[in-house]
Amino acid sequence: MRKLSKLLLTLVFALSVSSTSYAVTVASWGGAYTESQKLGYGDPTAKKLGIPINWVDYSGGLSEVKAQKAAGKITWDIMDVFAMDTINGCDEGLFVKFDFDKDFPAAPDGTKASKDFFTSMPSKCAVGNILYSWTYAYHDAKIGSKKPKTIKDFFDTKTWPGKRGVYKGAMHNLEMALAASGTKPGKGGKNIYKKLSKAKGLQQAMDKMKALCADPNGGCVFWSAGAKPPELLMQGEVVMATGWNGRFFNAEIGEGAPLKQVWDAQGLDYQYMVVVKGGPNESDAMKAIAQMTSTEGLAGSAKYIAYAPWRKSSLKIIEAGEPWYKDGKTAMMGQMPTHPNNTKNYFLVDAVFWADNGTEIGEKWEAMKSGL
Amino acid sequence: MSSETKQILTTDGVPLEVSLKKVERRNKFKAFLLVAPLLFFLLIVYISPIIGMLFNSVDDRMVTNSLPKTFIAMEKWDGKELPSEEVFEAFYIDFKKLMDEEKDGKLSTQLNYTKNGFKSIIKKLRRKSKSFEEGNYKEQIMAVHERWANVEYWRAIKRRAPSYSYSKYLKGVDMYENEDGKFVQVEEDRRIYKKLWVRTLKIAFYVTLFCFLMAYPIAHLLATLPMKFSNLLMICVLLPFWTSLLVRTASWMILLQQQGVVNDFLVWIGFVANDKRLEMMYNETGTYIAMTQILLPFMVLPLYSVMKTISPSLVRAGKSLGGTPFITFWKVYFPLTIPGIGAGSLLVFILAIGYYITPELVGGASGTLISNQIAYHMKYTLDWSFASAMGLMLLVGVLGVYWVYNKLVGIDNIKLG
Repeated sequence: MRKLSKLLLTLVFALSVSSTSYAVTVASWGGAYTESQKLGYGDPTAKKLGIPINWVDYSGGLSEVKAQKAAGKITWDIMDVFAMDTINGCDEGLFVKFDFDKDFPAAPDGTKASKDFFTSMPSKCAVGNILYSWTYAYHDAKIGSKKPKTIKDFFDTKTWPGKRGVYKGAMHNLEMALAASGTKPGKGGKNIYKKLSKAKGLQQAMDKMKALCADPNGGCVFWSAGAKPPELLMQGEVVMATGWNGRFFNAEIGEGAPLKQVWDAQGLDYQYMVVVKGGPNESDAMKAIAQMTSTEGLAGSAKYIAYAPWRKSSLKIIEAGEPWYKDGKTAMMGQMPTHPNNTKNYFLVDAVFWADNGTEIGEKWEAMKSGL
Repeated sequence: MSSETKQILTTDGVPLEVSLKKVERRNKFKAFLLVAPLLFFLLIVYISPIIGMLFNSVDDRMVTNSLPKTFIAMEKWDGKELPSEEVFEAFYIDFKKLMDEEKDGKLSTQLNYTKNGFKSIIKKLRRKSKSFEEGNYKEQIMAVHERWANVEYWRAIKRRAPSYSYSKYLKGVDMYENEDGKFVQVEEDRRIYKKLWVRTLKIAFYVTLFCFLMAYPIAHLLATLPMKFSNLLMICVLLPFWTSLLVRTASWMILLQQQGVVNDFLVWIGFVANDKRLEMMYNETGTYIAMTQILLPFMVLPLYSVMKTISPSLVRAGKSLGGTPFITFWKVYFPLTIPGIGAGSLLVFILAIGYYITPELVGGASGTLISNQIAYHMKYTLDWSFASAMGLMLLVGVLGVYWVYNKLVGIDNIKLG
């Protein structure tokens, strides 16, 4: 008996060691989003390629991967990153540069990968994953009889007094402030960023956010984790909160919460995946990422969360298979950030603008926050 | 004995002093061996990271080594007007080398910390420089982007010339050194840090005060009750102490929210109107309440152990000499507990100054401390040399507090029991 248990122990140990050394580690944002990635393309890829995939959570930024590189022990193979982080990380030589047509499979109808992408990548190190959107939501039962419909209503503390939940960084908040002050976004939001790159426009946006946060009838609660905005709304801590549309969708449809989103002046944003240079399992990571961002892979993730797949061919699969959501009842196309119903008034979050100006604007934003 | 000192010898003929010294040295060595593991552990885990941080905070060699020719050419430049063609040419040569080694991205990040806007113009320069012609670099570079023709950007590059610089420390107090070598405050809308230092000290001080006011009666009760009750109460003090910090903070979030337990109770007893609920979360109040509760055991335990050693007969003696309860407390009991107060206050104050998780979760915007800014720079701007500088400033501040305390009260006046 003792011998048998010892043998079992060593066997289990050997198996665990061998499996982790072949596993691919993906760092992503956690919560409902990582769930959707795991079920949508993580597990199918693991099964198809025979490579186990591990998911770890992080909250954005390049500090962890930079620290890993400095320590000489990188533990992440793939990362799911903000657009501006791909630019910064590629500049710093942290990520592998792709040859898109060679590294990624073509669409089922034969279209080359680079032509199947929604738009061109911000850097050679990034492959498009999903499009998501910054929207705002409110609790249908607690908001009262009048419902907010536009971005201006977010700042209207007379009709809807109470605190608002906003992202803790300046990104998206400034664009939203300008849109609510009457700046027309222009094509893809060009006008907003043109205004923000001038000192006067930047000051106008900061002042509007400061007015909202310092308002005795208003006030701001700052969130950094994607799961927080639906939570704040459900707890009644805030009357309206900005957030990522997939998380609101998940709370509304997936968990039956009475939250309603407002798509006016949504901030369309891209999410990318990168492969870390010098990661523990780079060759398998390249295979995994090619499979995960393939047409079927991305269409799979849309089964679990309302983020639009990067590839145009994936959209065709979803349309053909409606209702696509995992409950078999909800049609996903209408929930996508890219659906015409939702893009009547929108802006594209400009990654290059934030990569360049993030530090300086961040300083002004932190100064504004510390003065509240 | 006899006036002439005849050397005393041990049994094997060696002089006594020499033998004694040898034994002492051996004992000292044995004692050192006992302490050596701890000493090396401290050196590796504690001292060398701090020294590493020190180097990190002043180390500016990356930029200096990236642009060697540029800085040599800039030595003759006075910084008033745009630099000469010589500087532009030197910069182009340095930049070309960086591009070949793929290090230009790192340079752009570093320069961006000094002056915003470098990232995009360096990227543009990289693209356009591939088609540059020989000679006339000043004109070609300035044609890439209007910022290259702005003297402020060249002044910013010159500021990074020294290999080691204390500019991050200046930044930590909202100042920077301009071209004339004077220390100037940054613009009004970018002053963050001085305010935060003051706020950190203020919050740490008040948390210490509140902890003291609450811990003193508790410790006194614990010390004077009979064993079986005081043991039970002691468990009540220690149990939260053993729970995870994050769990305690999260529990406070649930209690103090607008729709949380405390507010619901106050509305129920009619103390507060339903639409005028108290705002105790995501602001300074939340930070105060949560930090006080979390740091309370650190004050209770030293006070308790000191109070336990005070004999109750002393108080009785004071009363029998005609002292009123208050006078007896103030003149007899209180001075005896000062060592415990000193230990507890120092502990709580130093912990509170460096606190990160609790202000981050419950402080909102107005209750965050300097450590949250350090974390922000570690995670998001990736300006690690600045984060190191601020960390070291915090360390020096804490050592300063310790020094002041030593002068006022004396560090030997601390007892932990």
